[in-house]
Amino acid sequence: MRRRTLVLSVLALASGLAVGPAFAQSYPNERLNVTIAFGPGGGNDILSRTLVQILEKHKLYPKDIAVTNRAGGSGAVGWGYVFNQKGNPYHISTTSGSFVTTPLQANTPWKPTSFTPVALLATDDLVLLVNGKSGYKDIKDFIEKARTKPPSIGGMGAVNVDFIVPKVLSEKANFKFEYVSFNKMGELNTALLSNSLDAAMGNPAEILGLVASGDMKALAYSGKKTPDSLKGVPTLQEAGYDVGISMPRGLILPPDAPKAAQEWWIATMKKVVATPEWKEYITKNNLTENIIYGDEFNGFLDRTSNGFATVLRASGAIK
Amino acid sequence: MRIAFSLAILCVAAFYTSVAFGGLPFLSSAGRLGPGFFPRIIGLSLVAFTLYNLYFDLKRRNREEPLTPFWSTTLVVALLSALFIVGLELLGGLLAMMAFMLVSLFVLNRRQPVVNALISIFLPIGIYVVFSVWLRAGLPEGLLPLPI
Amino acid sequence: MDIFDNLLLGLAVALQPINIVYLLIGTMVGMFVGIIPGFGPSAGLAILLPVTFGMEPTGAVMMLAAIYYGSMYGGTITSILLNTPGESATVASTFDGYPLAQQGRAGPALVMQAVASFIGGTIGVILITLLAPLFAQVARSFGPPEFFMLIMMGLLMLVVMIGENWRLGVISTLIGFALGTVGVDLETGSQRFTFGSAELIEGIDFIPIAIGLFGLGELYYSFYEGLHAKGSGGIIQYQKEKRFWPDLRDWIDTRFAMLRGSLLGFVIGVLPGAGATIASLMAYSVEKAASKTPERFGKGMMAGLAGPEAANNAASSGAMVPLLTLGIPGSGSTAVLLAAFLLWGLQPGPLLMAQNPEFAWGLIASMYLGNVALLAINIFAIPLFVLMIRLPYRILAPGVILICTIGTYAVHGSIIEVWLMFIAGLVGFLMKLYGFSPAATVLALVLGPMAEETLRQTLTISRGSAMIFIERGVSLTILLVMVAIVLAAAALRLSRTRARAAGSAPAVGS
Repeated sequence: MRRRTLVLSVLALASGLAVGPAFAQSYPNERLNVTIAFGPGGGNDILSRTLVQILEKHKLYPKDIAVTNRAGGSGAVGWGYVFNQKGNPYHISTTSGSFVTTPLQANTPWKPTSFTPVALLATDDLVLLVNGKSGYKDIKDFIEKARTKPPSIGGMGAVNVDFIVPKVLSEKANFKFEYVSFNKMGELNTALLSNSLDAAMGNPAEILGLVASGDMKALAYSGKKTPDSLKGVPTLQEAGYDVGISMPRGLILPPDAPKAAQEWWIATMKKVVATPEWKEYITKNNLTENIIYGDEFNGFLDRTSNGFATVLRASGAIK
Repeated sequence: MRIAFSLAILCVAAFYTSVAFGGLPFLSSAGRLGPGFFPRIIGLSLVAFTLYNLYFDLKRRNREEPLTPFWSTTLVVALLSALFIVGLELLGGLLAMMAFMLVSLFVLNRRQPVVNALISIFLPIGIYVVFSVWLRAGLPEGLLPLPI
Repeated sequence: MDIFDNLLLGLAVALQPINIVYLLIGTMVGMFVGIIPGFGPSAGLAILLPVTFGMEPTGAVMMLAAIYYGSMYGGTITSILLNTPGESATVASTFDGYPLAQQGRAGPALVMQAVASFIGGTIGVILITLLAPLFAQVARSFGPPEFFMLIMMGLLMLVVMIGENWRLGVISTLIGFALGTVGVDLETGSQRFTFGSAELIEGIDFIPIAIGLFGLGELYYSFYEGLHAKGSGGIIQYQKEKRFWPDLRDWIDTRFAMLRGSLLGFVIGVLPGAGATIASLMAYSVEKAASKTPERFGKGMMAGLAGPEAANNAASSGAMVPLLTLGIPGSGSTAVLLAAFLLWGLQPGPLLMAQNPEFAWGLIASMYLGNVALLAINIFAIPLFVLMIRLPYRILAPGVILICTIGTYAVHGSIIEVWLMFIAGLVGFLMKLYGFSPAATVLALVLGPMAEETLRQTLTISRGSAMIFIERGVSLTILLVMVAIVLAAAALRLSRTRARAAGSAPAVGS
């Protein structure tokens, strides 16, 4: 599989560069390779497979589509593979938080902005949670109490948006906190339920049930617009603190992909995001719809990456 | 041999400890246990215990059991399993499995060439079907331009 | 009665023909996936999850759950036959399972593990049915301090296990701890021993190390001992005159082991985190402590296999409790199940059972049926496995290398992990040759990072004060239990030495 695409990529590159207009008319006329940089079942996997389902159902892609999970090194393996397909317009991949954090941590040959950007489709955002029985009334109350007694806030991992969102919030709202890093969702949740933590950053999909039953209380949402399932919870922006950091769920092509291929994908994604299946995906996974195309998406990645780097360097997590 | 193994552990342990002391702070910037706290303790204890163990090994060095006559076969089998991994990278899953089975069986079980050949063809195909087709797990794809 | 009505409702769902088909497929796939070295429940589930897209939720989750607990049955088979645990929860099953097989009792050992698994699994489901809400309260009282105490309990059991050759045991354990520190430091995010490699960011995985140290190491050792030259004796000295079924003594020896293992396994399995691993280790230690002949453990005691087996299966039932009652996954496998719940638009959480009774109770009812089906499948399949290990070793061994290598590769698709497995194989051979304890290494690799993480989490929460362990009720309770265990063990040892000194038969009663 890989051998054949290597040969083809050379051909495709040649044709793409030499005969632009002819290429534009004939694209796409080969099998599409979708690389998922993580194993099955994760957010990246679900996004990629949803996209493929939509492309197939609405016959938006005329040829076959092959989906491969290339997991390893927090995405370094999968995205490294796509990076090596320079100029080949028949490879696509989806992005997630690790797309920004992994290059900050490891010596990857690529950066988030090395690829040909297609579109940012949505962002993954977090909920600031407290124990349902705690005395915190709302986000204002939380911040006021935090200023006198620094709370402990739990989240997933140290090099992650879970740490960066409360960090930026604490700087803007002028309070201090102790960050407690977890690597399993279950342990983070029980830490909050068992009153070990004062607050936790959670993924909406995974905590909705606990919020609905009153075991946890959602104080604020870090995205641009609160999902319907968390109605009544203000965004951090509405509360007066614009954190402006989100995990990008988007689509990329290998570096130096032909302009025509990038335009074809932008046009196609415009059709994809209008389908009912896409709307369903967004609601079901509690994502924040946030669509920007092409080079603007690269700008978004650049800003996010810089924002991460600044906070993480200050905390000593990266050099 | 026993002493060589103990020495090897000691070297790795010493390297581990030096990295733990060289690059990993004992306490974090906030004054809590840092990333180097446990590695330093683990490294030092490992060095100490290995030295202690080495002392016993040296004391008993005359009583070491001789190698069994099968050490050369063991070496060949280990070598074959390493070559198999190289083969996976070069030839891809299916071909490497067939080649490995064929060579190993002809080394170990010379008297039954037909049985060997049959196993070498059908077992890899079976495994290929289970992993690639059924579990959809994907086997290595070789780097050499072969027609499969 | 309320529970009875619910269970009937569940049975009505589970007994729909299409769901029975899904359940049977799930149990068989689970068995099979569990047998392949490397493919524990979580890898199997993650790979098979996409297959269930588009299925009806209840049937699909029944099938996935069956894959999950089914693989716990299958996983032990390689532990017994090839000394290769597919995941950390079955490491304890190798201690006595493999010696049993070596003595020609592979058939009885496999039957016994199937029965123990069945009893553990079934007692687990009964406890879910009756007491799930109660155990949910236990799960939700566990924060980092309590987990740290629990892991300390696991490490204490590791000490019991190391036993005789403590010097080499300590080195083996420390090697495991050292391997466990590789990767990104969870608390600060700084890198440890990764040398800039992206492959090492996530740390060193259990699977290549366990398959290498146990599976390959044992295989090289068998060659070194000349097993391949012994003609058709096979890997194991299986003699025809020996019986396939366990004899009456085996059943009598293990009757309490299974019960104890099941209860212990369920209670610890309920707690998110290292449930099944710690449970099986504890069950082993409990059996060793309760036995009249502790010195025969590790040399083929049936109770040393039945206890941990009942425990790890009961733990996999126990892990369903936080998943169903709180929407909290306790392990990698239940995290995949949780992802499946979300995929089908089910809202996991405390209200799940009330809002979707057909789904929740259908799943619980299906677990009763699934365990029965698995017992039957096992009993029928065991003769096949016994047949397989009667192949001459020189033919079987290359096949084992093949499966170990491909299994390791397929879990994450990483060739680096395959090389890691190979190196672990060489080291495992030397460890075995010179009397080190590979089991201590792999268990330390699993427990070490958890101990470090939870301790540092606790100290961050308490702002550096260790008093938190005493201030919190549950944590204090576990601490006291541990102290009691240590004191009891010391007292037991003392009375044994005295008994021996007095010239009476070794360790009568106690």
